[in-house]
Amino acid sequence: MFFLRIVIMSLRALQTNLMRTMLATLGVIIGVSAVVSAMSILSGAEKEVVDKFESMGADQVMIVSGGGRRQSRRIRFDALKREDADAILDDCELIKAVAPEVTQPMQIKYFQKNTNAQVLATTTAYESINDYHVAEGRFITREDDRSERKVCVLGHKAASELFGQVPPVGYRVKIKGLGFTVVGVMEKKGFLGFRNVDSQVIVPLGTGMKRLFGMRFVSMITAQATDQSMLEAAMQQISRTLRSQHKIRAGADDDFNMFTQEQAKKQFGDVTKIFEVVLYSIAGISLVVGAIGIMNIMLVSVTERTREIGVRIAVGARRIDILTQFLIEAAIISLIGGVLGVLVGMAFSDLLEKITQVLTTFTPPAAIVYALVMAGVIGIVSGIYPAVRAARLDPVEALRYE
Amino acid sequence: MLIQVEQLTRIYTMGDSVVRALDGVDIDIDAGEFVSITGASGSGKSTFMHLLGGLDRPTGGSYLLDGQSMSRLSDWKLARIRNRSIGFVFQTFNLINRTSAIDNVAVPLIYGRETKTRAKAMAALERVGLANRHNHRPSEMSGGERQRVAIARAVVNNPSVILADEPTGNLDSQTGTQILDIFHELNASGTTIVLVTHEMSVAVQARRLIHMTDGLIDVDRSITDELRRDLVRDDLLRAARLQSEPVIKEAG
Repeated sequence: MFFLRIVIMSLRALQTNLMRTMLATLGVIIGVSAVVSAMSILSGAEKEVVDKFESMGADQVMIVSGGGRRQSRRIRFDALKREDADAILDDCELIKAVAPEVTQPMQIKYFQKNTNAQVLATTTAYESINDYHVAEGRFITREDDRSERKVCVLGHKAASELFGQVPPVGYRVKIKGLGFTVVGVMEKKGFLGFRNVDSQVIVPLGTGMKRLFGMRFVSMITAQATDQSMLEAAMQQISRTLRSQHKIRAGADDDFNMFTQEQAKKQFGDVTKIFEVVLYSIAGISLVVGAIGIMNIMLVSVTERTREIGVRIAVGARRIDILTQFLIEAAIISLIGGVLGVLVGMAFSDLLEKITQVLTTFTPPAAIVYALVMAGVIGIVSGIYPAVRAARLDPVEALRYE
Repeated sequence: MLIQVEQLTRIYTMGDSVVRALDGVDIDIDAGEFVSITGASGSGKSTFMHLLGGLDRPTGGSYLLDGQSMSRLSDWKLARIRNRSIGFVFQTFNLINRTSAIDNVAVPLIYGRETKTRAKAMAALERVGLANRHNHRPSEMSGGERQRVAIARAVVNNPSVILADEPTGNLDSQTGTQILDIFHELNASGTTIVLVTHEMSVAVQARRLIHMTDGLIDVDRSITDELRRDLVRDDLLRAARLQSEPVIKEAG
């Protein structure tokens, strides 16, 4: 009850000097909104990337060319062959499916209509490994691949861009001047890994490598383990198989790299940690500035109200009561700044999302709590010195103060 | 005995100079008395009042309030005594300007952790005849009204003694009389009043006169009607003489 009354008293005092109170909160508003928008941008980005990693599937391992300590001297990008994928499927009993792939951006034409699409050359297993299925028609078959047929399956968006409402199955489109028959349209999916698969066009691996890209190697092999828990062991099997395929001597470095969803997430986490530290340092500095602002205003307030403090002591306030009152005032200033800062920070990150159109922001509830607690602490810390000065005033001197 | 003071001293040291503001004061004041303390400025009357009110601590001597020694109390206990047993009235009213009359009166109640503060503050305002102005701020009131609010604040906790430091000093004589009437009423209902003033016409309102010079009490006597008449007449004569003397001519 007493505490509540002190709070009311403090609010009145702050209300009398509204303009000054607002100026005092400004530093905290800037600091807290910096923290909140930094957190929103970071967790938004993190959430988006994590979602993409999640879509990769936890039972998968991606194999790409390169690797080894000598990587920097001699970057290899042609180490993986499609035969490697067959060897992995044959030799590794912990792998149940493989999908080798090559991809390149190309122009697709249907009469007058044009669209730029990522052309993905892959095999039948792609559909099941990625749990990404056809909505109309059929997917690429073994026969398509072996006979290097000129057929393609359109991504959801690619189909609507070229054909509008018309069902495209059975029509022919031109890729790099070659006619391809559309045999299927994929379901709407969005992102798979970091690729927006909806605007992609899928062709058989053999057709793609020979007729479109003229390449003798694949850029990536996705292998799916029989069980997620067997992923580590499966990777060892793959490593053994590929080393013998590539005739790498014992002790020599791999010419390929493998990564899983887990590893990718961890690596990304390390990168965001650095950003976090930088952003929080900036936010921290602005909060220190805010604290100094509050301390300054509180000192002015104590000096101005010297006589009032004398009166309060004369009518029975203990020194601790005076101390409490000024601490509460500082905390209230800071908390008002905190609340406004959270609102400004959220509005700012929203605005950023709208302007840039690429950033996704997300304000975690924990960030709000964190920001408010921090604002309260800053208020109390910056209020200590002025409050102690107020509490130490000699009442006789204070009552005489002009 | 409400106030018992023996050989009370208060010595200020400022650098090399030592000021004996209070140089061994002995005095007893009974409950229910109406005492005025007069003296020239620097005579130690304000210092004495600060010590009586527990705002300052004596350098030496003893001071018992209601039988309790005030010189050895902790800050907390002293604050409690200021809150419960003492009511201050100042020359400049010392109200908190941003809040209403009733909130000003309620301040001691809040520090005393009292309940029903509004009703009690209202009752105190009624005692000084300002119940109808309870929502006004000090800035919207006349000097006399402000001092009445200050008195209401002083009496709200029913203290055993009211210490008034030049309470009429900032008021015209008519308003000053109204304020003194309130002190008379409070005294009639049993409150002890110690009034510090340098105006003789105010000091004679009390029933006991204490005069201080250089930190010592040199006069301590009861005020009879006769004395009151004489003192007031002297005061008036002095004033009349000051007015009639041809000051300017002499100077020229």
